[in-house]
Amino acid sequence: MRRPIRIPTLGGARAVILHRPHPTVQALLRQLTAIGLEVTQSWPELAADALGADYVFFDADMGHDGMFPWPAGEPPMPMIALIGSEAPGRVEWSLRAGSHAQLLKPVGDNGAYSALLIARDAFDAQKALSAEIADLKRRLDGRQTVVRAVTLLAARGKTEEQAYAQLRQMAMAWRISFEDAAARIVASRDDRTGDAQDV
Amino acid sequence: MTKRRIEIGLLYSRSGSYSLISEACRSGALAAIAELNADPDLDLSFVPVERDPGGNADAYGTLCDEILSQTGARHVIGCVTSWSRKEVIPTLERHGATLWYAVPYEGWEASDHVVYTHACPNQHLLPLLDWVMPAHGRRAYLTGSNYIWGWEMNRLARERITQAGGEILGERYLPIGSRDVGRMVDEIRASRPDFVLNSLIGPSSYEFLAAYRDLGRADPDFAPSRRPVLSCNMTECELPALGTAAEGLVAAGPYFRGIDGWPGKGRFGSSHEAAAHVAVHELARLLAHRPGAELLPLSQLLAEAGGGIVDPETHHTVLPALIARVEGGAFRLVHRREAVAGDPYLTRTSQSPATPTLRVVS
Repeated sequence: MRRPIRIPTLGGARAVILHRPHPTVQALLRQLTAIGLEVTQSWPELAADALGADYVFFDADMGHDGMFPWPAGEPPMPMIALIGSEAPGRVEWSLRAGSHAQLLKPVGDNGAYSALLIARDAFDAQKALSAEIADLKRRLDGRQTVVRAVTLLAARGKTEEQAYAQLRQMAMAWRISFEDAAARIVASRDDRTGDAQDV
Repeated sequence: MTKRRIEIGLLYSRSGSYSLISEACRSGALAAIAELNADPDLDLSFVPVERDPGGNADAYGTLCDEILSQTGARHVIGCVTSWSRKEVIPTLERHGATLWYAVPYEGWEASDHVVYTHACPNQHLLPLLDWVMPAHGRRAYLTGSNYIWGWEMNRLARERITQAGGEILGERYLPIGSRDVGRMVDEIRASRPDFVLNSLIGPSSYEFLAAYRDLGRADPDFAPSRRPVLSCNMTECELPALGTAAEGLVAAGPYFRGIDGWPGKGRFGSSHEAAAHVAVHELARLLAHRPGAELLPLSQLLAEAGGGIVDPETHHTVLPALIARVEGGAFRLVHRREAVAGDPYLTRTSQSPATPTLRVVS
Protein backbone atom coordinates (compact mmCIF):
# COMPACT_ATOMS: atom_id res chain seq x y z
CA MET A 1 0.00 0.00 0.00
CA ARG A 2 1.10 3.53 -0.71
CA ARG A 3 2.38 5.48 2.26
CA PRO A 4 0.47 8.70 3.14
CA ILE A 5 1.87 11.86 1.63
CA ARG A 6 4.00 14.01 3.89
CA ILE A 7 3.08 17.69 3.57
CA PRO A 8 6.48 19.39 3.32
CA THR A 9 7.36 22.51 5.29
CA LEU A 10 7.13 25.22 2.66
CA GLY A 11 7.28 28.36 4.82
CA GLY A 12 10.72 29.88 4.20
CA ALA A 13 11.72 27.06 1.82
CA ARG A 14 13.98 28.21 -1.04
CA ALA A 15 13.03 27.85 -4.68
CA VAL A 16 15.11 28.77 -7.71
CA ILE A 17 13.48 29.43 -11.08
CA LEU A 18 15.90 28.66 -13.88
CA HIS A 19 14.27 30.52 -16.75
CA ARG A 20 14.94 33.67 -18.72
CA PRO A 21 12.97 36.76 -17.55
CA HIS A 22 9.40 36.18 -18.78
CA PRO A 23 5.76 36.68 -17.66
CA THR A 24 5.74 32.97 -16.77
CA VAL A 25 8.47 33.66 -14.21
CA GLN A 26 6.42 36.54 -12.78
CA ALA A 27 3.31 34.36 -12.46
CA LEU A 28 5.26 31.54 -10.86
CA LEU A 29 7.06 33.95 -8.54
CA ARG A 30 3.70 35.32 -7.39
CA GLN A 31 2.33 31.85 -6.69
CA LEU A 32 5.42 30.70 -4.80
CA THR A 33 5.60 33.91 -2.76
CA ALA A 34 1.92 33.56 -1.86
CA ILE A 35 2.61 30.02 -0.67
CA GLY A 36 5.42 31.36 1.51
CA LEU A 37 8.64 30.36 -0.29
CA GLU A 38 11.72 32.53 -0.84
CA VAL A 39 12.33 32.68 -4.56
CA THR A 40 15.28 33.64 -6.74
CA GLN A 41 15.53 33.63 -10.51
CA SER A 42 18.58 32.48 -12.41
CA TRP A 43 19.55 32.28 -16.12
CA PRO A 44 21.18 30.83 -18.19
CA GLU A 45 22.78 28.66 -15.51
CA LEU A 46 22.09 27.91 -11.90
CA ALA A 47 24.17 30.05 -9.57
CA ALA A 48 26.36 28.11 -7.12
CA ASP A 49 24.04 28.88 -4.20
CA ALA A 50 21.29 26.92 -6.01
CA LEU A 51 22.87 23.82 -4.44
CA GLY A 52 21.23 24.91 -1.19
CA ALA A 53 17.79 25.33 -2.75
CA ASP A 54 14.86 23.16 -1.68
CA TYR A 55 13.19 23.18 -5.11
CA VAL A 56 14.34 23.99 -8.66
CA PHE A 57 11.92 25.01 -11.43
CA PHE A 58 13.68 24.82 -14.80
CA ASP A 59 12.88 25.73 -18.39
CA ALA A 60 12.37 22.55 -20.38
CA ASP A 61 12.17 24.44 -23.71
CA MET A 62 15.63 26.00 -23.75
CA GLY A 63 17.25 23.64 -21.28
CA HIS A 64 20.48 21.69 -21.80
CA ASP A 65 22.58 19.39 -19.62
CA GLY A 66 25.22 21.99 -18.80
CA MET A 67 22.82 24.24 -16.96
CA PHE A 68 22.89 22.23 -13.72
CA PRO A 69 25.92 22.10 -11.38
CA TRP A 70 25.48 18.36 -10.75
CA PRO A 71 25.82 15.14 -12.81
CA ALA A 72 23.02 14.81 -15.38
CA GLY A 73 19.90 13.28 -13.89
CA GLU A 74 21.13 13.38 -10.28
CA PRO A 75 19.63 16.53 -8.78
CA PRO A 76 20.03 16.85 -5.00
CA MET A 77 16.56 18.39 -4.68
CA PRO A 78 13.11 18.03 -6.28
CA MET A 79 12.97 19.48 -9.80
CA ILE A 80 9.95 20.80 -11.65
CA ALA A 81 10.03 21.16 -15.43
CA LEU A 82 8.41 24.25 -17.01
CA ILE A 83 7.16 22.82 -20.28
CA GLY A 84 6.05 24.94 -23.24
CA SER A 85 6.69 22.68 -26.22
CA GLU A 86 5.14 19.33 -25.50
CA ALA A 87 7.46 17.71 -28.05
CA PRO A 88 8.69 14.21 -27.25
CA GLY A 89 12.34 15.27 -27.40
CA ARG A 90 11.84 18.02 -24.82
CA VAL A 91 9.80 15.80 -22.51
CA GLU A 92 12.49 13.13 -22.79
CA TRP A 93 15.21 15.64 -21.98
CA SER A 94 13.40 16.99 -18.93
CA LEU A 95 12.88 13.44 -17.64
CA ARG A 96 16.58 12.69 -18.16
CA ALA A 97 17.42 15.92 -16.36
CA GLY A 98 15.60 14.39 -13.41
CA SER A 99 12.30 16.27 -13.24
CA HIS A 100 9.90 15.03 -10.59
CA ALA A 101 6.87 17.06 -11.69
CA GLN A 102 5.92 19.55 -14.37
CA LEU A 103 4.02 22.78 -14.90
CA LEU A 104 2.74 23.72 -18.33
CA LYS A 105 3.55 27.16 -19.72
CA PRO A 106 2.15 29.72 -19.78
CA VAL A 107 1.99 29.51 -16.01
CA GLY A 108 -1.08 31.33 -14.73
CA ASP A 109 -2.85 31.53 -11.43
CA ASN A 110 -2.35 28.02 -10.10
CA GLY A 111 -0.49 24.75 -10.32
CA ALA A 112 2.61 25.54 -8.27
CA TYR A 113 1.39 24.11 -4.97
CA SER A 114 0.50 20.69 -6.34
CA ALA A 115 3.74 20.64 -8.37
CA LEU A 116 5.72 21.28 -5.16
CA LEU A 117 3.97 18.48 -3.28
CA ILE A 118 4.17 15.97 -6.14
CA ALA A 119 7.84 16.76 -6.80
CA ARG A 120 8.75 16.44 -3.12
CA ASP A 121 6.90 13.14 -2.83
CA ALA A 122 8.49 11.72 -5.99
CA PHE A 123 11.95 12.90 -4.91
CA ASP A 124 11.61 11.36 -1.45
CA ALA A 125 10.23 8.12 -2.90
CA GLN A 126 13.11 7.95 -5.39
CA LYS A 127 15.68 8.55 -2.67
CA ALA A 128 14.16 5.93 -0.38
CA LEU A 129 14.03 3.40 -3.23
CA SER A 130 17.65 4.07 -4.23
CA ALA A 131 18.78 3.51 -0.65
CA GLU A 132 16.75 0.31 -0.43
CA ILE A 133 18.12 -0.97 -3.74
CA ALA A 134 21.71 -0.20 -2.69
CA ASP A 135 21.16 -2.12 0.53
CA LEU A 136 19.60 -5.10 -1.26
CA LYS A 137 22.45 -5.10 -3.78
CA ARG A 138 25.01 -5.12 -1.00
CA ARG A 139 23.24 -8.02 0.66
CA LEU A 140 22.97 -9.88 -2.62
CA ASP A 141 26.70 -9.42 -3.16
CA GLY A 142 27.28 -10.85 0.33
CA ARG A 143 25.29 -14.00 -0.37
CA GLN A 144 28.34 -16.03 -1.43
CA THR A 145 30.21 -14.90 1.67
CA VAL A 146 27.31 -16.03 3.87
CA VAL A 147 27.39 -19.48 2.26
CA ARG A 148 31.16 -19.73 2.87
CA ALA A 149 30.85 -18.60 6.49
CA VAL A 150 28.07 -21.12 7.21
CA THR A 151 30.14 -23.85 5.60
CA LEU A 152 33.17 -22.92 7.73
CA LEU A 153 31.11 -23.00 10.92
CA ALA A 154 29.43 -26.25 9.94
CA ALA A 155 32.81 -27.84 9.32
CA ARG A 156 33.17 -28.12 13.11
CA GLY A 157 30.44 -30.67 13.48
CA LYS A 158 27.39 -28.41 13.45
CA THR A 159 24.38 -28.87 11.23
CA GLU A 160 23.84 -26.20 8.61
CA GLU A 161 20.88 -24.88 10.60
CA GLN A 162 22.93 -24.61 13.82
CA ALA A 163 25.75 -22.87 11.93
CA TYR A 164 23.29 -20.42 10.50
CA ALA A 165 21.85 -19.67 13.97
CA GLN A 166 25.38 -19.23 15.36
CA LEU A 167 26.21 -16.74 12.63
CA ARG A 168 23.05 -14.77 13.45
CA GLN A 169 24.01 -14.69 17.15
CA MET A 170 27.49 -13.46 16.28
CA ALA A 171 26.07 -10.68 14.13
CA MET A 172 23.83 -9.65 17.02
CA ALA A 173 26.66 -9.79 19.55
CA TRP A 174 28.94 -7.75 17.32
CA ARG A 175 26.06 -5.38 16.44
CA ILE A 176 26.73 -5.66 12.73
CA SER A 177 24.70 -6.99 9.83
CA PHE A 178 24.45 -10.69 9.05
CA GLU A 179 26.44 -10.21 5.86
CA ASP A 180 29.17 -8.24 7.62
CA ALA A 181 29.48 -10.95 10.28
CA ALA A 182 29.86 -13.56 7.54
CA ALA A 183 32.55 -11.45 5.88
CA ARG A 184 34.41 -11.17 9.20
CA ILE A 185 34.41 -14.95 9.71
CA VAL A 186 35.55 -15.65 6.18
CA ALA A 187 38.30 -13.00 6.44
CA SER A 188 39.63 -14.32 9.77
CA ARG A 189 39.72 -17.85 8.39
CA ASP A 190 41.59 -16.67 5.27
CA ASP A 191 44.08 -14.76 7.47
CA ARG A 192 44.82 -17.66 9.71
CA THR A 193 45.21 -20.11 6.83
CA GLY A 194 43.83 -23.11 8.63
CA ASP A 195 44.83 -22.24 12.21
CA ALA A 196 42.52 -23.89 14.73
CA GLN A 197 41.63 -20.72 16.69
CA ASP A 198 37.96 -20.31 17.37
CA VAL A 199 36.18 -17.42 15.83
CA MET B 1 -18.92 65.76 -6.14
CA THR B 2 -19.63 64.12 -9.49
CA LYS B 3 -19.81 60.41 -9.07
CA ARG B 4 -18.35 57.88 -11.54
CA ARG B 5 -20.86 55.11 -12.03
CA ILE B 6 -19.04 51.81 -11.65
CA GLU B 7 -20.79 48.52 -12.27
CA ILE B 8 -19.96 45.67 -9.87
CA GLY B 9 -21.19 42.11 -10.06
CA LEU B 10 -23.16 40.31 -7.34
CA LEU B 11 -23.13 36.54 -7.75
CA TYR B 12 -25.14 34.99 -4.91
CA SER B 13 -27.60 32.08 -4.96
CA ARG B 14 -30.92 33.30 -3.61
CA SER B 15 -32.32 29.79 -3.48
CA GLY B 16 -30.81 26.37 -2.86
CA SER B 17 -29.20 24.69 0.12
CA TYR B 18 -27.01 27.55 1.39
CA SER B 19 -29.25 30.52 0.53
CA LEU B 20 -29.28 31.86 4.11
CA ILE B 21 -25.53 32.48 3.88
CA SER B 22 -25.91 33.98 0.39
CA GLU B 23 -28.60 36.35 1.63
CA ALA B 24 -26.43 37.45 4.56
CA CYS B 25 -23.51 38.22 2.25
CA ARG B 26 -25.76 39.90 -0.27
CA SER B 27 -27.36 42.18 2.28
CA GLY B 28 -23.92 43.14 3.64
CA ALA B 29 -22.78 44.05 0.12
CA LEU B 30 -25.97 45.95 -0.73
CA ALA B 31 -25.84 47.89 2.55
CA ALA B 32 -22.25 48.92 1.79
CA ILE B 33 -23.21 49.96 -1.74
CA ALA B 34 -26.05 52.09 -0.38
CA GLU B 35 -23.73 53.78 2.14
CA LEU B 36 -21.06 54.52 -0.47
CA ASN B 37 -23.58 55.81 -3.01
CA ALA B 38 -24.95 58.21 -0.40
CA ASP B 39 -21.49 59.49 0.56
CA PRO B 40 -21.14 63.00 -0.90
CA ASP B 41 -17.34 63.01 -0.52
CA LEU B 42 -16.84 59.95 -2.66
CA ASP B 43 -16.33 60.34 -6.41
CA LEU B 44 -17.92 57.03 -7.30
CA SER B 45 -21.16 55.13 -7.05
CA PHE B 46 -21.58 51.40 -7.47
CA VAL B 47 -24.25 49.93 -9.74
CA PRO B 48 -24.89 46.30 -8.76
CA VAL B 49 -25.26 43.81 -11.60
CA GLU B 50 -26.88 40.69 -10.15
CA ARG B 51 -27.00 37.10 -11.31
CA ASP B 52 -28.52 34.22 -9.32
CA PRO B 53 -27.03 30.73 -9.85
CA GLY B 54 -29.82 29.22 -7.73
CA GLY B 55 -27.44 26.99 -5.77
CA ASN B 56 -26.24 25.19 -8.93
CA ALA B 57 -22.43 25.03 -8.88
CA ASP B 58 -22.25 24.63 -12.67
CA ALA B 59 -24.12 27.90 -13.26
CA TYR B 60 -21.50 30.07 -11.55
CA GLY B 61 -18.89 30.04 -14.33
CA THR B 62 -21.45 30.89 -17.01
CA LEU B 63 -23.14 33.64 -15.02
CA CYS B 64 -19.83 35.16 -13.96
CA ASP B 65 -18.82 35.21 -17.62
CA GLU B 66 -22.14 36.89 -18.43
CA ILE B 67 -21.48 39.66 -15.89
CA LEU B 68 -17.95 40.22 -17.20
CA SER B 69 -18.87 40.03 -20.90
CA GLN B 70 -22.15 41.93 -20.97
CA THR B 71 -21.41 44.73 -18.51
CA GLY B 72 -18.45 46.88 -17.58
CA ALA B 73 -18.06 45.17 -14.21
CA ARG B 74 -14.53 43.97 -13.39
CA HIS B 75 -15.18 43.17 -9.73
CA VAL B 76 -17.64 40.55 -8.56
CA ILE B 77 -18.77 40.08 -4.96
CA GLY B 78 -20.03 36.54 -4.57
CA CYS B 79 -19.80 32.77 -4.19
CA VAL B 80 -20.45 30.84 -0.99
CA THR B 81 -19.11 27.32 -1.52
CA SER B 82 -15.47 26.69 -2.42
CA TRP B 83 -16.77 24.56 -5.25
CA SER B 84 -18.42 27.59 -6.87
CA ARG B 85 -15.39 29.79 -6.21
CA LYS B 86 -13.12 27.35 -7.98
CA GLU B 87 -15.62 27.29 -10.88
CA VAL B 88 -15.35 31.05 -11.47
CA ILE B 89 -11.57 31.48 -11.15
CA PRO B 90 -10.77 30.48 -14.77
CA THR B 91 -13.43 32.97 -15.96
CA LEU B 92 -11.94 35.73 -13.79
CA GLU B 93 -8.50 34.95 -15.13
CA ARG B 94 -9.71 35.19 -18.72
CA HIS B 95 -11.24 38.62 -18.11
CA GLY B 96 -8.57 39.98 -15.77
CA ALA B 97 -11.35 40.37 -13.20
CA THR B 98 -11.57 39.97 -9.43
CA LEU B 99 -13.82 38.02 -7.05
CA TRP B 100 -14.37 39.31 -3.52
CA TYR B 101 -15.10 36.23 -1.44
CA ALA B 102 -16.74 36.82 1.95
CA VAL B 103 -17.15 33.34 3.41
CA PRO B 104 -14.89 31.20 5.63
CA TYR B 105 -13.11 28.55 3.60
CA GLU B 106 -10.60 25.70 3.93
CA GLY B 107 -7.45 27.49 2.71
CA TRP B 108 -4.76 26.29 0.27
CA GLU B 109 -5.57 28.95 -2.26
CA ALA B 110 -4.22 32.42 -2.98
CA SER B 111 -5.52 33.31 -6.41
CA ASP B 112 -4.26 36.43 -8.12
CA HIS B 113 -7.93 37.10 -8.92
CA VAL B 114 -9.58 36.63 -5.56
CA VAL B 115 -9.69 38.66 -2.34
CA TYR B 116 -10.59 36.59 0.74
CA THR B 117 -12.26 38.78 3.37
CA HIS B 118 -13.43 36.02 5.72
CA ALA B 119 -11.36 33.53 7.72
CA CYS B 120 -9.16 30.59 6.65
CA PRO B 121 -8.10 27.68 8.96
CA ASN B 122 -5.43 29.50 10.99
CA GLN B 123 -8.20 31.97 11.82
CA HIS B 124 -10.98 29.47 12.55
CA LEU B 125 -10.25 25.74 12.77
CA LEU B 126 -6.86 25.81 14.48
CA PRO B 127 -7.87 28.24 17.26
CA LEU B 128 -11.05 26.21 17.74
CA LEU B 129 -9.11 22.93 18.14
CA ASP B 130 -6.59 24.63 20.43
CA TRP B 131 -9.50 25.65 22.64
CA VAL B 132 -11.57 22.47 22.55
CA MET B 133 -8.91 19.85 23.25
CA PRO B 134 -7.87 21.15 26.68
CA ALA B 135 -11.49 22.01 27.51
CA HIS B 136 -13.29 18.83 26.41
CA GLY B 137 -10.78 16.20 25.37
CA ARG B 138 -9.05 14.86 22.28
CA ARG B 139 -11.40 12.18 21.00
CA ALA B 140 -13.16 13.57 17.95
CA TYR B 141 -15.84 12.64 15.44
CA LEU B 142 -15.66 14.41 12.07
CA THR B 143 -18.59 15.16 9.76
CA GLY B 144 -18.81 17.07 6.51
CA SER B 145 -20.59 17.68 3.25
CA ASN B 146 -19.12 15.83 0.34
CA TYR B 147 -16.93 18.49 -1.26
CA ILE B 148 -13.65 20.28 -0.70
CA TRP B 149 -14.70 22.26 2.42
CA GLY B 150 -15.59 19.18 4.45
CA TRP B 151 -12.76 17.05 3.10
CA GLU B 152 -9.96 19.53 3.70
CA MET B 153 -11.26 20.77 7.07
CA ASN B 154 -11.42 17.20 8.32
CA ARG B 155 -8.01 16.31 6.89
CA LEU B 156 -6.44 19.23 8.74
CA ALA B 157 -8.42 18.48 11.91
CA ARG B 158 -7.27 14.84 11.79
CA GLU B 159 -3.65 15.94 11.39
CA ARG B 160 -3.81 18.42 14.29
CA ILE B 161 -5.78 16.19 16.64
CA THR B 162 -3.53 13.17 16.14
CA GLN B 163 -0.40 15.36 16.47
CA ALA B 164 -1.79 16.49 19.82
CA GLY B 165 -2.15 12.88 20.93
CA GLY B 166 -5.89 12.69 20.19
CA GLU B 167 -7.94 10.18 18.32
CA ILE B 168 -10.47 10.26 15.45
CA LEU B 169 -13.37 7.96 16.32
CA GLY B 170 -15.19 8.36 13.03
CA GLU B 171 -15.46 10.44 9.88
CA ARG B 172 -18.54 10.56 7.68
CA TYR B 173 -19.80 12.65 4.75
CA LEU B 174 -23.18 13.43 3.20
CA PRO B 175 -23.94 14.71 -0.30
CA ILE B 176 -24.86 18.44 -0.26
CA GLY B 177 -28.57 18.71 0.54
CA SER B 178 -28.88 15.20 2.03
CA ARG B 179 -30.73 14.84 5.33
CA ASP B 180 -29.62 11.27 5.89
CA VAL B 181 -27.90 11.82 9.24
CA GLY B 182 -29.06 8.65 11.04
CA ARG B 183 -25.84 6.71 10.61
CA MET B 184 -23.66 9.58 11.84
CA VAL B 185 -25.76 9.95 14.95
CA ASP B 186 -25.67 6.18 15.58
CA GLU B 187 -21.88 6.17 15.28
CA ILE B 188 -21.57 9.14 17.63
CA ARG B 189 -23.87 7.48 20.16
CA ALA B 190 -21.74 4.33 20.01
CA SER B 191 -18.30 5.99 20.11
CA ARG B 192 -19.01 8.87 22.58
CA PRO B 193 -16.51 11.42 21.20
CA ASP B 194 -15.41 14.39 23.33
CA PHE B 195 -16.57 16.68 20.52
CA VAL B 196 -17.98 16.59 16.98
CA LEU B 197 -16.54 18.78 14.23
CA ASN B 198 -19.44 19.68 11.96
CA SER B 199 -18.44 20.74 8.43
CA LEU B 200 -21.83 19.92 6.98
CA ILE B 201 -23.62 22.75 5.19
CA GLY B 202 -27.26 23.77 4.76
CA PRO B 203 -30.08 21.26 5.36
CA SER B 204 -27.63 18.44 6.21
CA SER B 205 -26.24 20.54 9.02
CA TYR B 206 -29.71 21.60 10.25
CA GLU B 207 -30.90 17.99 10.29
CA PHE B 208 -27.77 16.78 12.05
CA LEU B 209 -27.97 19.43 14.77
CA ALA B 210 -31.66 18.66 15.38
CA ALA B 211 -30.88 14.95 15.68
CA TYR B 212 -27.97 15.65 18.04
CA ARG B 213 -30.21 17.85 20.20
CA ASP B 214 -32.71 14.97 20.41
CA LEU B 215 -29.90 12.58 21.35
CA GLY B 216 -28.81 14.97 24.11
CA ARG B 217 -32.36 15.14 25.45
CA ALA B 218 -32.67 11.37 25.48
CA ASP B 219 -29.24 10.80 27.04
CA PRO B 220 -27.72 13.64 29.12
CA ASP B 221 -24.28 12.20 28.43
CA PHE B 222 -24.64 13.85 24.99
CA ALA B 223 -25.56 17.28 26.35
CA PRO B 224 -23.74 19.93 24.28
CA SER B 225 -22.09 21.24 27.45
CA ARG B 226 -20.41 17.85 27.77
CA ARG B 227 -19.81 16.79 24.13
CA PRO B 228 -20.21 19.93 22.02
CA VAL B 229 -20.66 20.21 18.25
CA LEU B 230 -18.13 22.61 16.70
CA SER B 231 -18.47 24.63 13.55
CA CYS B 232 -16.27 27.00 11.56
CA ASN B 233 -19.01 28.41 9.35
CA MET B 234 -22.07 28.73 11.59
CA THR B 235 -23.19 32.32 12.13
CA GLU B 236 -26.31 34.18 13.23
CA CYS B 237 -27.68 34.04 9.69
CA GLU B 238 -28.52 30.34 10.05
CA LEU B 239 -29.84 30.40 13.62
CA PRO B 240 -33.47 30.94 12.48
CA ALA B 241 -33.31 27.67 10.53
CA LEU B 242 -31.99 25.84 13.60
CA GLY B 243 -34.15 27.07 16.45
CA THR B 244 -33.34 25.21 19.67
CA ALA B 245 -31.11 22.75 17.79
CA ALA B 246 -28.39 25.41 17.82
CA GLU B 247 -28.25 25.64 21.62
CA GLY B 248 -24.80 24.72 22.90
CA LEU B 249 -23.16 24.78 19.46
CA VAL B 250 -19.64 26.25 19.59
CA ALA B 251 -18.48 28.23 16.56
CA ALA B 252 -15.31 30.04 15.56
CA GLY B 253 -15.49 33.22 13.52
CA PRO B 254 -14.08 36.73 13.20
CA TYR B 255 -17.28 38.42 14.36
CA PHE B 256 -20.37 37.59 16.37
CA ARG B 257 -23.22 39.98 16.94
CA GLY B 258 -22.66 42.16 19.99
CA ILE B 259 -19.05 41.00 20.54
CA ASP B 260 -16.17 43.41 19.91
CA GLY B 261 -13.19 42.59 17.76
CA TRP B 262 -14.20 42.99 14.13
CA PRO B 263 -11.55 45.24 12.59
CA GLY B 264 -13.97 47.46 10.64
CA LYS B 265 -16.67 49.79 11.82
CA GLY B 266 -20.34 48.95 12.00
CA ARG B 267 -22.77 46.50 13.51
CA PHE B 268 -23.76 43.50 11.45
CA GLY B 269 -26.18 40.61 11.56
CA SER B 270 -23.37 38.09 11.13
CA SER B 271 -19.73 37.75 10.07
CA HIS B 272 -20.91 36.82 6.56
CA GLU B 273 -22.63 40.18 6.33
CA ALA B 274 -19.60 41.94 7.83
CA ALA B 275 -17.13 40.30 5.44
CA ALA B 276 -19.17 41.21 2.33
CA HIS B 277 -19.66 44.73 3.68
CA VAL B 278 -15.94 45.28 4.27
CA ALA B 279 -15.18 43.87 0.80
CA VAL B 280 -17.29 46.50 -0.93
CA HIS B 281 -15.83 49.28 1.24
CA GLU B 282 -12.27 48.16 0.53
CA LEU B 283 -13.01 48.06 -3.19
CA ALA B 284 -14.35 51.62 -2.98
CA ARG B 285 -11.20 52.71 -1.14
CA LEU B 286 -9.03 51.21 -3.88
CA LEU B 287 -11.00 52.93 -6.66
CA ALA B 288 -11.82 56.27 -5.04
CA HIS B 289 -10.39 59.38 -6.71
CA ARG B 290 -8.56 57.27 -9.27
CA PRO B 291 -10.55 57.46 -12.53
CA GLY B 292 -9.93 54.39 -14.66
CA ALA B 293 -8.71 52.30 -11.72
CA GLU B 294 -11.85 50.16 -12.03
CA LEU B 295 -10.30 48.58 -15.14
CA LEU B 296 -7.00 47.63 -13.52
CA PRO B 297 -6.18 44.05 -12.56
CA LEU B 298 -6.22 43.41 -8.83
CA SER B 299 -2.43 43.05 -8.47
CA GLN B 300 -1.85 46.49 -9.97
CA LEU B 301 -4.71 48.01 -8.01
CA LEU B 302 -3.23 46.78 -4.73
CA ALA B 303 0.34 47.72 -5.63
CA GLU B 304 -0.57 51.27 -6.62
CA ALA B 305 -3.02 52.04 -3.83
CA GLY B 306 -0.96 50.67 -0.93
CA GLY B 307 -2.25 50.22 2.60
CA GLY B 308 -5.68 48.76 3.17
CA ILE B 309 -6.74 45.44 4.58
CA VAL B 310 -5.65 43.10 1.77
CA ASP B 311 -2.27 41.37 2.11
CA PRO B 312 -0.67 41.91 -1.33
CA GLU B 313 0.98 38.45 -1.27
CA THR B 314 -1.91 36.24 -0.17
CA HIS B 315 -4.96 38.52 -0.69
CA HIS B 316 -6.19 37.48 2.75
CA THR B 317 -6.94 39.81 5.68
CA VAL B 318 -6.08 40.15 9.37
CA LEU B 319 -8.92 38.83 11.55
CA PRO B 320 -9.46 37.92 15.19
CA ALA B 321 -10.55 34.39 16.09
CA LEU B 322 -13.55 34.49 18.38
CA ILE B 323 -14.96 31.31 19.84
CA ALA B 324 -18.59 31.58 20.90
CA ARG B 325 -21.35 29.31 22.15
CA VAL B 326 -25.05 29.60 21.30
CA GLU B 327 -26.98 30.33 24.50
CA GLY B 328 -30.58 31.48 24.44
CA GLY B 329 -30.53 31.98 20.68
CA ALA B 330 -27.41 34.17 20.54
CA PHE B 331 -23.66 33.66 20.46
CA ARG B 332 -21.84 34.30 23.79
CA LEU B 333 -18.06 34.72 23.78
CA VAL B 334 -16.14 31.76 25.21
CA HIS B 335 -12.61 32.54 24.13
CA ARG B 336 -10.85 35.20 22.11
CA ARG B 337 -7.64 34.97 20.16
CA GLU B 338 -6.06 38.20 18.96
CA ALA B 339 -6.20 39.17 15.30
CA VAL B 340 -3.85 37.23 13.04
CA ALA B 341 -3.08 37.45 9.33
CA GLY B 342 -4.74 34.89 7.11
CA ASP B 343 -2.16 32.18 6.37
CA PRO B 344 -3.78 30.06 3.65
CA TYR B 345 -0.89 27.58 3.28
CA LEU B 346 -0.07 27.50 7.00
CA THR B 347 3.49 28.50 6.16
CA ARG B 348 3.78 31.96 7.69
CA THR B 349 2.80 31.77 11.30
CA SER B 350 3.94 29.47 14.03
CA GLN B 351 1.40 26.67 13.87
CA SER B 352 2.43 24.53 16.77
CA PRO B 353 -0.45 22.25 17.69
CA ALA B 354 -1.75 22.01 21.22
CA THR B 355 0.73 19.87 23.12
CA PRO B 356 -0.49 16.76 24.86
CA THR B 357 -0.83 17.24 28.59
CA LEU B 358 -0.76 14.64 31.31
CA ARG B 359 -4.04 13.71 32.85
CA VAL B 360 -4.57 12.55 36.40
CA VAL B 361 -5.75 8.96 36.36
CA SER B 362 -7.57 7.94 39.52
